Amino acid sequence: MNIQDFINFLVYGTAIFLIIGGLYAVLTKKYLTKIVIGLSIMDAGINLLLIAIGYTYKGTAPIFSPAVEGKTVTMVDPVPQALVLTAIVIGFGVTAVALSLVIRLYRHHNTLCIDNIKNLKW
Amino acid sequence: MVISPIHYVAIPLLVAFLIPLVAKIGKNWARILPGLTLAYLNFVSVYLMTKVQETGIISESVGGWDAPVGINLVFSPLSGLLVSLITGIGFLVWLYSYQFKNVEKNESQKYFTLLLMLITGANGVILTGDIFNMFVFMEITAISAYALTAFYRHRNGAEAAFKYLLIGSLASTFMLLAIMLLYAQVGTLNMADIASKMDQVSSGMKVTIFILFLTGFGIEAEMFPLNGWAPDAYTEAPGPIGAVFASAVVKAGVYAMARVVFTLFGYGDSPVEILIIMGVITMAIAEFSAFRQEKLKRMLAYSSIGQMGLVIAAFGLGTKAGVFAALFIMVNHALIKSLLFLSGTYMVYHSKEKLIAELNGMAKELPVTAALFAFGALAIAGFPPFSGFWSKVYFLIAAADQKMVFLIIMVLLVTTVEVLYYFKVINRMYFHKPEMELEYRRPSTNALISMFVLTAVILWISFFPDTVMGYIDAAANDLVNRAGYINLVLNR
Amino acid sequence: MKKYVAVVLLLFFGYYLLLSFLQLDFGRADERMAVSKDYLHESVATNKVANVITSIVVNFRGFDTLGEVTVLFLASTALASILYRRNKPGVKVPKERILTSASHLLHIGAKVLFPISIVLGAYIFIHGHLTPGGGFQGGAVIATGVLLMILSYRKFHVNHNIVSWVESIAGIAFVAIGFTGLIFGTSFLENVFPVGTLNALMSGGAIPLIYIAVGFKVGAELIGLLDNILLNNKELKQ
Repeated sequence: MNIQDFINFLVYGTAIFLIIGGLYAVLTKKYLTKIVIGLSIMDAGINLLLIAIGYTYKGTAPIFSPAVEGKTVTMVDPVPQALVLTAIVIGFGVTAVALSLVIRLYRHHNTLCIDNIKNLKW
Repeated sequence: MVISPIHYVAIPLLVAFLIPLVAKIGKNWARILPGLTLAYLNFVSVYLMTKVQETGIISESVGGWDAPVGINLVFSPLSGLLVSLITGIGFLVWLYSYQFKNVEKNESQKYFTLLLMLITGANGVILTGDIFNMFVFMEITAISAYALTAFYRHRNGAEAAFKYLLIGSLASTFMLLAIMLLYAQVGTLNMADIASKMDQVSSGMKVTIFILFLTGFGIEAEMFPLNGWAPDAYTEAPGPIGAVFASAVVKAGVYAMARVVFTLFGYGDSPVEILIIMGVITMAIAEFSAFRQEKLKRMLAYSSIGQMGLVIAAFGLGTKAGVFAALFIMVNHALIKSLLFLSGTYMVYHSKEKLIAELNGMAKELPVTAALFAFGALAIAGFPPFSGFWSKVYFLIAAADQKMVFLIIMVLLVTTVEVLYYFKVINRMYFHKPEMELEYRRPSTNALISMFVLTAVILWISFFPDTVMGYIDAAANDLVNRAGYINLVLNR
Repeated sequence: MKKYVAVVLLLFFGYYLLLSFLQLDFGRADERMAVSKDYLHESVATNKVANVITSIVVNFRGFDTLGEVTVLFLASTALASILYRRNKPGVKVPKERILTSASHLLHIGAKVLFPISIVLGAYIFIHGHLTPGGGFQGGAVIATGVLLMILSYRKFHVNHNIVSWVESIAGIAFVAIGFTGLIFGTSFLENVFPVGTLNALMSGGAIPLIYIAVGFKVGAELIGLLDNILLNNKELKQ
């Protein structure tokens, strides 16, 4: 295993571990808040993966500030960063809606455990 | 300012941001304004549909940059057909919900904002030519759908919405992963550009991306086994919203799936087995579940899933005839299922449990609504000479062309089941005596008008199918003609 | 049992996903860039915006950003619709949002940090086209300042009217700038304003204007969300 393979494994492995961990929480946890936390972890993994795809070795931030004027510099791919911004905002919106649903469920049933909420069973 | 596809997105957004301000002047304006917007968009549909017949696909760039660099909107015969359909039904649903008592009791201003955004999101998904932009609009659709599912406080909407949200988040995760892998391979997000560079992608990677997309869009398109959200969401959401789910959210999902299969991957040359298999499983399971349901709206929801299975299987045939049948079923389903939801809502309005068993003798109490429901039931089950019959005939012809005997047998079997459970309802409505005196709510004039318009359109398609078949044929050609789409968008 | 099934399924899925991603070498994005090269070039050449990401977010892919802003708007509408309930007559809505009084340290600290966070947030979104950051980040910083105030002062409350006005006007401004492109140029969101010179504060034409509108919108939206959730914390305290 050369160094590049190891780095690949480390970077993508971490991000995918986060996605899988979040999914695990969503699928198996009994408390609504924990499920929402799982969703957030999943989002974080996705964003990490997206950023990792756009990285270039020795790349700088894609900003043509006076510091880089006149020099030839490698820049990282700017598109994944723009996409991550969108993905973060969308993840935030979904989390906010999820939390408001949790608040309403708590109001009705006075519990956060899905075992006690009849209609949430699959 | 020229009328162009961007109006479908930009003007509703402007209105949505205006609504909170307008509501301070007069509460009523916040409800009227979305209706006016949808009415205007229907005018845009008519204008652009005539234009697209003359000049061919309209591709409009956004942000002043042409296709691979900027985002573009594509108003083709296919997207135009679906967008016009969704906008039209959106307007009718607005008319129906205007002064709808249960909505009035809650925060009606929010309801109409969310309804407008749901329609806009679905339109955006269909119009956009950019895969990431499609994801963004899918999320707009989804968030409005979650909120509308939980809109009523006196029902278990929050549970249904939470389930929907979890499955929906899964869908967006899969979509995002697929988009990521695709971007890393071809370095672009424009669908036409991706399609033209698709041969750079290794075949193993292609399969991964395809499966991720299929799962992601399959959730919105109610494909088995990812449709767990649908029955609950349809049941708990306000009645008219069921119609929008069936006609807008699901149609957007199916469209996205078809675009990915046909345009992005170019799988249109041969039958796509996985779509046929998933479609058949979806429709078989859904129609048999529908037969067992005791609640009216749940039954309609399962019936909707079953029809989507039929559509997915028809797309899977891969031929032009198959695509034509799929689109015809989609159009019919959007119109008829909307009618069923709109009329069914009033039939179970008075009841708490909304059971089919409570419909006894409904034909005497609410003759007009019951008659419309019965008409819709006959039409969707495929009774000649109604429109559902024609679309199923075209499906069977397309399947016979491909010599798929098993598929034909399955469809006929499933149709029998469909006929049985719709007859169960009609039987109760017309041939049973009402058990007790109940307070029925009669439909308001607005609601009656929107139901009659839908009925008229369905009757028109039933007796003059040739008038719409031209549009559907053009749309099917558009979906099958991959090279034409790519060349037009990329200006080659 | 269900847990083990989930673990096996997830491990399989994760392994499959990892295999696909391992085919893409990390740190080799330069070999894969296609449209990005156009972005890096055109951002400086045509838009005169130093920060390429801002250029992409606001101009090249500005339509996505409009969608994003809409998602936030929808989230706050959805929240208000889901958590809404009619106040029973006679029941007073409590003015105090948090339950326990904050410590002396937080009181003083919040007072110092609140104006700083407002100024910092404004700086971030005004300079979005020159330095890292922009409307979303700036708006979030401003909302954090307000959250700090809510947490430290029990009597602190946000003026709903102002928040909803700012929210609407900023949103309308975004779409209106988009329409100027359609009216004076050829397409929606086109940059028809004079672009100025690279790395000057007044550069980029419509891009900084849109980002300022986004900043106001995001700030107001987040404050509204916080306020709405905190208004409803009464049941959660038990």
